Amino acid sequence: MRATVFTKTLRDNRRSLIGWTAGTTLAAAMYASFYPQMATGGAESVQNFPEAMREAFHLDDLTSAAGYLQSSVFGLILPLLALFYGAATGARATAGDEESGTLDLLLAHPVTRTRLILQRFGALTAGACGIAAAVWIAMLGIRESADLTSISPLEFLAQCLNLALLAVAFGALAMGIGAATGRRALVFAATAGIGILTYAAHTFAGRLGAEWAAYFSPFHYYIGGEPLKHGIQWGDAGVLAAASAALVVAGTYRFNHRDLNA
Amino acid sequence: MENAIELRELTKTYGSRRGLAGLTLDVRVGEVFGYLGPNGAGKSTTIRLLLDLIRPTVGRATVLGLDPRADGVELRCRLGYLAGDFVVDGRQRVRDCLRFLADLRGGVPQQRIDDLTDRLGLDQNAHIKKLSKGNRQKIGLVQAFMHTPELLILDEPTSGLDPLVQQTFLDLVTEAAANGQTVFMSSHIMDEVEAVADRVGILRDGRLVALDSVAQLRAGAVREIEITFAEPVRAEEFARLPGVRTLVLDPAGTTLRGQLTGEPDALVKAAARHHVTALRASEPTLDGLFHAYYADAEAAPRSTAAV
Repeated sequence: MRATVFTKTLRDNRRSLIGWTAGTTLAAAMYASFYPQMATGGAESVQNFPEAMREAFHLDDLTSAAGYLQSSVFGLILPLLALFYGAATGARATAGDEESGTLDLLLAHPVTRTRLILQRFGALTAGACGIAAAVWIAMLGIRESADLTSISPLEFLAQCLNLALLAVAFGALAMGIGAATGRRALVFAATAGIGILTYAAHTFAGRLGAEWAAYFSPFHYYIGGEPLKHGIQWGDAGVLAAASAALVVAGTYRFNHRDLNA
Repeated sequence: MENAIELRELTKTYGSRRGLAGLTLDVRVGEVFGYLGPNGAGKSTTIRLLLDLIRPTVGRATVLGLDPRADGVELRCRLGYLAGDFVVDGRQRVRDCLRFLADLRGGVPQQRIDDLTDRLGLDQNAHIKKLSKGNRQKIGLVQAFMHTPELLILDEPTSGLDPLVQQTFLDLVTEAAANGQTVFMSSHIMDEVEAVADRVGILRDGRLVALDSVAQLRAGAVREIEITFAEPVRAEEFARLPGVRTLVLDPAGTTLRGQLTGEPDALVKAAARHHVTALRASEPTLDGLFHAYYADAEAAPRSTAAV
């Protein structure tokens, strides 16, 4: 009985979760395996890009494996996928059910609102970890063939851990807004909007002379410590985890103190 | 514990709109209580307050001696609920859905679930998204009844059900009552409530306008009546009969139309003196009942709240 909602949520979402995992892993493996071509030819063509763009997207270090992955696969594609996984899954967590009316049925059972949120959040986190684990395994799989041996398996793991935490953080944001408002469209739009803004803050803060802005961006804690070069960044991971917890707690508090929408 | 539900001055306002206005009501343990009212009267608001899905603005509700908010988990273990617009995720089979809901309650014997689905004619292997509204409603009934709760709270339980299944539902309610369970069911249809309810409360604009046994309410209900005669009759013969409210004879003098409260005995006997070619009487409508109670309330204010 204890984890009923958790297992049911994972089961109900199995198709979409398989889709996210397959899509994310495939994209990661495909772009990462371009590295050998990039290392030889691509890096020179990038030299013709404007300096501002090279700096913003960290394109100056495309010849090293870590530099390439940080600017493309792990710097752009995967974090944006993680953002949208978190926004979509988090929006569904309670706001989707509340809007469709199925939340009434669940909460008429001996389940507290807190337990419902925590188990749904647990399912979201498990999904994020599954996706990140699949990406990690894919990286290990192509590590030899794509000339990525300069990055150790542990360093890949460190970046994948942060990827999971990034997805969890945006999932927590979406769940928090959803629990507080119960409006799914608002949740998705707000989460995606905040995601894009904070991505921009992380990418362009230095260019705009506002380095401080990056500290408000989850993306800074996701990749700013360059886990692909320096391994696990406990501080950054801790910030993402703590922010996620705070968002879920705040959302749960509001959820427990408001009327459910009819 | 004498009362399964005790509402005291229960008030719920939504912004400037009023959902419930100072509702005081007791539902006794073991009774079947019909909660009647037109759409928008506040029936679902009351029920959602009992389940702690929403919170009262003012006032207090006690259900099975418990506070819906503070003792929510224990309370919801002991009651079964069917929502007014019962919706359930369509991407699953009936069996899995019921299994999950049973698990939330710590398990329900499969035999009990099978019995209920058999009686209602619900296929447990069906995908919910392919079911009709009536068949989905059956899922709602099964999940409300399956753990044999002390208290059943049913919001418009028969909506979408065909007449045969409605009868099965009424049987389930009767059995539950015989078993000592309390049933609180809302409806905007008089018929289904009066078949099983011991007492009925009528809600209008968030207030209880009537609270009585079914027999008493029925006596006050208004029927539309139409009698056609072979030969013209005189209106005076019928105008002063007991229970007759308004009666109009058509210009030809052969068709009598009007409204009747209480027993039709006097009118039928008066009509029987003539050759009656057709007789039509409507079931007492809830609307008629409301008007009857409003007329009473204006003439002589009666105690509408439960004591």
